[in-house]
Amino acid sequence: MVSIEKVVEIMVNIIMLCAPSVIACLIHYFLRQEEMSFRRKSFFYIVYVVLINMCVLAVSAIRGVIGLQFIGMTLSYKIKYIGLGSVFGFIVPFPVCILLEKQVSIEEMGNYIKRLLRDLKSYFAYAIKSAKADLHAEVANSYLSWLWWLIEPICMMIIYTFIFGLVFQASEPYFPIFVFIGITMWNFFQRSVSGSVNIVKSNKGIITKIYMPKYILLLSRMFVYGFKMMVSFGIVVAMMLLYHVKISIYVLYAVPILVVLFMFTFGISCIMMHYGVYVSDLAYIVGIVLTMLMYLTGVFYSLGKKIPAPFGTIMEEANPVAFLIRGMRDALLYGEKSSGTLLLAWGGISLILIIVGTYNIYNNENAYVKVI
Amino acid sequence: MGREIRENAIEVKDVSINYRILNNTTIRGSFFKKKNRSEIFQAVKHMSFEVEKGGILGIIGKNGSGKSTLLRSIAGVFSPNEGVIDLKNHSVSLMALGVGFKDTLSGRENILLSGMLLGFREDEIQEKMQEIINFAEIGDFIDRPVRTYSSGMHSKLAFAITAMLETDIMLIDEVLSVGDERFKKKSLAKMKELITDKNRTVIIVSHNMDTLQELCNKVMWMHDGEKREIGEPEEVLEHYARFMER
Repeated sequence: MVSIEKVVEIMVNIIMLCAPSVIACLIHYFLRQEEMSFRRKSFFYIVYVVLINMCVLAVSAIRGVIGLQFIGMTLSYKIKYIGLGSVFGFIVPFPVCILLEKQVSIEEMGNYIKRLLRDLKSYFAYAIKSAKADLHAEVANSYLSWLWWLIEPICMMIIYTFIFGLVFQASEPYFPIFVFIGITMWNFFQRSVSGSVNIVKSNKGIITKIYMPKYILLLSRMFVYGFKMMVSFGIVVAMMLLYHVKISIYVLYAVPILVVLFMFTFGISCIMMHYGVYVSDLAYIVGIVLTMLMYLTGVFYSLGKKIPAPFGTIMEEANPVAFLIRGMRDALLYGEKSSGTLLLAWGGISLILIIVGTYNIYNNENAYVKVI
Repeated sequence: MGREIRENAIEVKDVSINYRILNNTTIRGSFFKKKNRSEIFQAVKHMSFEVEKGGILGIIGKNGSGKSTLLRSIAGVFSPNEGVIDLKNHSVSLMALGVGFKDTLSGRENILLSGMLLGFREDEIQEKMQEIINFAEIGDFIDRPVRTYSSGMHSKLAFAITAMLETDIMLIDEVLSVGDERFKKKSLAKMKELITDKNRTVIIVSHNMDTLQELCNKVMWMHDGEKREIGEPEEVLEHYARFMER
């Protein structure tokens, strides 16, 4: 007689192997936007099941678990498996779709990378200048002018420290700075991503008159937010002195962490920007998803400590923003180093996102003007 | 007129430009509806022509005949769906109504940013800055946000930027009739001055036949996205006038 537990376990195993590929397929169909027969769809599904499970197994082999043993497998391992599978489910369809495009070849890719670098170089000055002018315009007509860049984040920090520190009794060492680092980095990510959705429409005046690579608009906007983030980090440093935080050599980790944060945000925003042009209700969805992510990112609390193991650690490692925020806190406040391999891995993924995103923009930007 | 044969600055070969109608999708639309890609509107149909270096081409035609679309495409704002536009590596600027300024920035900053997008270096623009401001005649407004400008000031500033920051190819879309009488005269004079430069190539889109007659050495008549006629200004303009009267 087969017991119910046995059935449930087998069901979980099947979900573990097959569910992440569903995400991959949905993204694939959305990206390719073409009529497909049921047979073709199932073919791609099977391809993705194989690809994604291979990726996950490769990662777990690196981590020391070779092969799949269903007997004696813990629930925690299965959840990790699904989580990692979903992450791959998001990433794998992009390279696959690019490979399926007709005009893609190695030479083409080389030319495109060259073009990307050349454009970045020649429009960099414009992006900086435009960001400066925007910052200037933002404060030109206000009474307190640039003081707002200091006042706004400090007020936010006081509010969150009060609510989460006193009301919800969240206590971490150096709690105000802890919260402040979280808000600062999260704000940068959140503003950039949600701003990217409408950025083409809001710059309609310029892009209908003159050509420029459209991600330059994004870059310029990110410089504005990046500058504000740097002001906030200035406050962080001042507070660290005030609280007599012990500083270790690992403070240097802050630099690569910020670089990866910038790259990751740029990559995601490039992709969002493209779909924002065509999909008119994307702004709502991005807003909701970002709000949800904010609570899953541990801006006000420590994921690793507050969420029971193993979920806390998983959430911290599978969510790059959470990982980077935690890394920054460790580096600045607690004198600990964060995982260099993971940082490098997220840097690599960000680079892929940037290349995919800008490639997508290059291929489609000429049509943007006709749509908006 | 015994002009020597010059090389071409603009070559347009068999260019078609499509607009896809129904392009703005929603998430629901893209997941649950069958894709409907059939509605294509062809704004420019298999257009071919060239402009020699130093030439001034006027384009005339009724509303919606694809003039502005063609101009934007030459400016590189979007690429044609079919065919090739070859500018022989010349720099190009497009001047059109409702010009691309950032509303929140001041006129001065907008001059700088527009200039940089046109491919000029910062110091080159700073050099020309005063000249542009003087030409635009907008006084103290130059340091106020562009959103406070009147539509006349807007166009005057746009004209000044394009006229002073001299690109090899200038594309002018319906802006010669901006501003008051005095500015109109001034801009026309400036245009003539620019036009005498043998290295500058200009395309003017206008409904004003007198202007075209006066400035251009060639006129093209566009009708429903097709080239109806191209040739000497007097002849083409007369045919067009006769056509419009009917």
